[in-house]
Amino acid sequence: MRPFAYERATDVRSAVATLSERPDAVYLGGGTNLVDLMRLGVVSPEMLVDVTRVVDATIEESAGGGLLIGAGVRNGDLTADPLVRGRYPVLAQAVLSGASGQIRNMATVGGNLLQRTRCSYFQDTSKPCNKRRPGSGCPAREGDHRNLAILGHSSSCVATHPSDMAVALAALGAVVHVEGRHGPRTVPMPGLHRLPGDEPDRDTVLEPGDLITAVELPELPFATRSRYRKVRDRASFAFAVVSVAAALDVADGVVRDCRIALGGVAPVPWRAELAESALRGAAATAAEFGRAADIELAQARPLRDNGFKVPLARNVLVGVLTDLAEAR
Amino acid sequence: MTDIQVTSPVRDGVGASAPRPDGTLKVTGEFAYASDLWMDGMLHGATLRSPHPRARILSVDLTGALKLPGVEAVLTHEDVPGAKLYGVDHADQPVLAIDQVRYQGEPIAVVAADHPETARRACALIRVVYEVLEPLTDPRRAALDPSYEKVHAGGNVVRHQPIRVGSVFEADVVVTGEYEVGMQDQAFLGPESGLAVPAEDGGVDLYVATQWLHVDQDQIAPCLGLPPEKVRLTLAGVGGAFGAREDLSMQIHACLLALHTGKPVRIVYGREESFFGHVHRHPALMRYEHGATRDGRLVYVKGEIILDGGAYASSTPAVVGNAASLGVGPYSVPNISLDAYGVYTNNPPCGAMRGFGAVQACFGYESQLDRLAEACGLDPVEVRIRNAISEGSRIATGQIVDMPAPLTSMLEQVRDLPLPEGVSTDLRDLPGGVANSTHGEGIVRGVGYGIGIKNICYSEGFDDFSTARVRLEVIGEEAAVLVHTAAAEVGQGLVTLKAQIARTELGVPNVTIAPADTQVGSAGSSSASRQSYVTGGAVKTACEAVRERLLELAAKKLSHDGLALSGGKIVSVSGIVVASVAEVLGDDVIEETREYRHRATAPMDQLTGQGDAHTQFAFCVHRAVVDVDVELGLVKVVELAAVQDVGKILNPIALEGQIHGGTAQGLGLALMEEIQVAGGLIRNPSFTDYLIPTILDMPPMRLEILENPDPHAPYGLRGAGEPPTLSSTPAIVAAVRAATGKSLMRIPVRPEHITGT
Repeated sequence: MRPFAYERATDVRSAVATLSERPDAVYLGGGTNLVDLMRLGVVSPEMLVDVTRVVDATIEESAGGGLLIGAGVRNGDLTADPLVRGRYPVLAQAVLSGASGQIRNMATVGGNLLQRTRCSYFQDTSKPCNKRRPGSGCPAREGDHRNLAILGHSSSCVATHPSDMAVALAALGAVVHVEGRHGPRTVPMPGLHRLPGDEPDRDTVLEPGDLITAVELPELPFATRSRYRKVRDRASFAFAVVSVAAALDVADGVVRDCRIALGGVAPVPWRAELAESALRGAAATAAEFGRAADIELAQARPLRDNGFKVPLARNVLVGVLTDLAEAR
Repeated sequence: MTDIQVTSPVRDGVGASAPRPDGTLKVTGEFAYASDLWMDGMLHGATLRSPHPRARILSVDLTGALKLPGVEAVLTHEDVPGAKLYGVDHADQPVLAIDQVRYQGEPIAVVAADHPETARRACALIRVVYEVLEPLTDPRRAALDPSYEKVHAGGNVVRHQPIRVGSVFEADVVVTGEYEVGMQDQAFLGPESGLAVPAEDGGVDLYVATQWLHVDQDQIAPCLGLPPEKVRLTLAGVGGAFGAREDLSMQIHACLLALHTGKPVRIVYGREESFFGHVHRHPALMRYEHGATRDGRLVYVKGEIILDGGAYASSTPAVVGNAASLGVGPYSVPNISLDAYGVYTNNPPCGAMRGFGAVQACFGYESQLDRLAEACGLDPVEVRIRNAISEGSRIATGQIVDMPAPLTSMLEQVRDLPLPEGVSTDLRDLPGGVANSTHGEGIVRGVGYGIGIKNICYSEGFDDFSTARVRLEVIGEEAAVLVHTAAAEVGQGLVTLKAQIARTELGVPNVTIAPADTQVGSAGSSSASRQSYVTGGAVKTACEAVRERLLELAAKKLSHDGLALSGGKIVSVSGIVVASVAEVLGDDVIEETREYRHRATAPMDQLTGQGDAHTQFAFCVHRAVVDVDVELGLVKVVELAAVQDVGKILNPIALEGQIHGGTAQGLGLALMEEIQVAGGLIRNPSFTDYLIPTILDMPPMRLEILENPDPHAPYGLRGAGEPPTLSSTPAIVAAVRAATGKSLMRIPVRPEHITGT
């Protein structure tokens, strides 16, 4: 690890001012991802600005009838929160399915959104990687990519976004509150994370200095009927091979509305908008769920060794929607 | 030796669940591991490793590293004063790379500096110019294609061992299969670590976590250009081994740096580095053809087992010997034509891991037995019973099994254990666990069986022995025993067991175990499930010699004939206590050193594989019950039941831990553990990406432990650590096959193999 300076921020504005002036500085939240990457030499910031004491760490009801979750809320607290569990079970389940208890107790909501990919070439500084070193190439495309993207990838990057929480937030249409150089603004989800295109080094639309201060969940009454399901290679503490976050509003056997996002399959938490529109007004049956999944996954462009994710994503999606349709 | 029967009333003797002295310290985080070693003024070592699996080294420029403040030494192969190559079986591995590298992670230079970070930064400042070559990564071509390029000048086949028995290779029922085993890692928790301290006599003292101090010494000293007595080793706290510490890692490097700088040097690998710092389990490509009568009795087995040894030989020759000699399993097979190969490639070096060649073969032959059962319309247990060896049978090498081998009753016993109840509704008990993957829909249950045969101790004519020094004296008016061996406690509980044996043999409760070092004779390796047998045997034998001298002393001092030692007291023929041990000893000290050898073994014939290559066989049988979500490809192992014959239970709780642990390692190989290698490069060198089973993946176990004594072994014991690792893997895969109908020819089984997509 390279030497770095550590500064504990005293308030949000000055933290933003520091990072706006110093491109070599980064924010430090729980550190569960950043410190790993520093140890591997994947990132080597000159300065860490610790924002854990200045960003809000509470969960409260928002003016719009939803919830406002401070960016400093620990993942462990988020998944245990009664309001979250009651109104947005998909979010509580998604967070609980990620990492380990110890890591969830450290990791913050803001940091979780900005996790970097687990693509092994990104983690290995002796290898080229367009996300880590733009223009150096992408060995994953022809190399080890079993658990990389089938959707939204580009010729320059086939990585997946690793967060479970972000998949639930994308499904719920969360709004990210950001404090930047020019003051506060909001960024909708999906929309925070960007597809790699030919700039895979930019994971999000955030600008230098931007600090995530909170995540707002919109009022979504039917999200009480929501669920997160994750397929992984062992029963605990493993990244998603495929995951689905979904909320379903069914009346008289017909889908009135739904929210669906996929994880483990794309460089971003993948909101399944095509499937959603196919389902609105459709019968809440396994056949229709399968049809909607097929429409969404028709866009998939699997790599040599990850074609299995297409039918697996279909099975998970149909399973979750069927469960939700049958739930009372 | 006296013929005294010691009926041991002593607490915590043989057979008791004596507590481990290291247990509390380990679970409270207070145990001092090798990575905790510390000396004032010590330097920290770091290693520059090749990023390429195959390359020529065109130049190495140390200038930048040498200029960095705090750096005290930067060494390359040119600074190795003695032999440039080393190896546990065969010296083919450079201490530091010479002109070329053969695997990703091969050490090129080592640095000593005042801080670990300084040392690592200095490594980054070394400029190496490589001519990168296409790596040779195809083990089948390495084994069979003479036109394939060579990893080493002598050719790519490290060992080819055929087995040839009989000549009938036709049968009514024939089943074939091609199987593949991925590269498993030992995944110990304590990374490679040690501290080398230069000594005034020009030698060096090395404190290190290893499995066999003397074989380390034998390899280190020639490279340092020192006589063995000037390279003294002491065992430091070992955080797991499982075979991964049989080969050297940082030992020579730390000693070189210490001798070069005149200061103590510590090297501690990080987790990622550790994946490049030790050998792994050989991946295997296997083809089997089993011929049988219609009622399922084996007529012949044809087989080919290709084990990828990677860049250096390590223990590949011995692994091939096991794969060949145990390649048809614990079955009577009248006709065999089997070829086992161990080869060089530019993949990561592979060597010893728990089960050692027998694991890979067991997955192959047990999968075949299930195919045979299906082809003959037989129950999988029945087909095994019809072919199982028993005491007096011959194995594939022609060797007669001259010890109990109650496989039939073991199979019946495991089959007849009650089955677990129906599918649970607790998420934690379902495939996918708390990831909410399923709620019980689409779950199919399957049951499968596996049985394995493992050789215990070193084989094929190896002079396999251990040494124990036992000292009896009075300390603080009480008799006290000091047991000194060089045997490595690697977590298996040997320190506990040595004290149990001394207490039983001498009836003295107060037993101290001296630190393991090279100031006493070799104990051999903590490998091959052999330490209870061989070092246990040495401690027992040395205690018997001490006892004999004690009784001589008692006869002399007490002028009394026919004395015996019982319950820690000197007793007369009629059983009357005549004196305490302390009273007899007074100021006298009795010390005896003994070597213990198991029965000699013989090499295998190079053309036919015949020979009495092994000294003991051990058996374990598993039944696995799994629930599979067939849509999502997720497996929950619901229960693992095992029946194992251990000859004699020495420490029940430690033994159960061995069977649980071995079974879990087999579960890992069946379902998740694999070092992903692409083009010779390791893609998952971390515990985030190399998955080992968690407590949520490992089910409760049902154990039945048998004690049919082996008349040749001390106490009748049988090595116990490895056998469960063999049989749990095929049992689990068989259960998944039973649930899904999929053929599952490769392990670890992944979700996509089950969903078939």
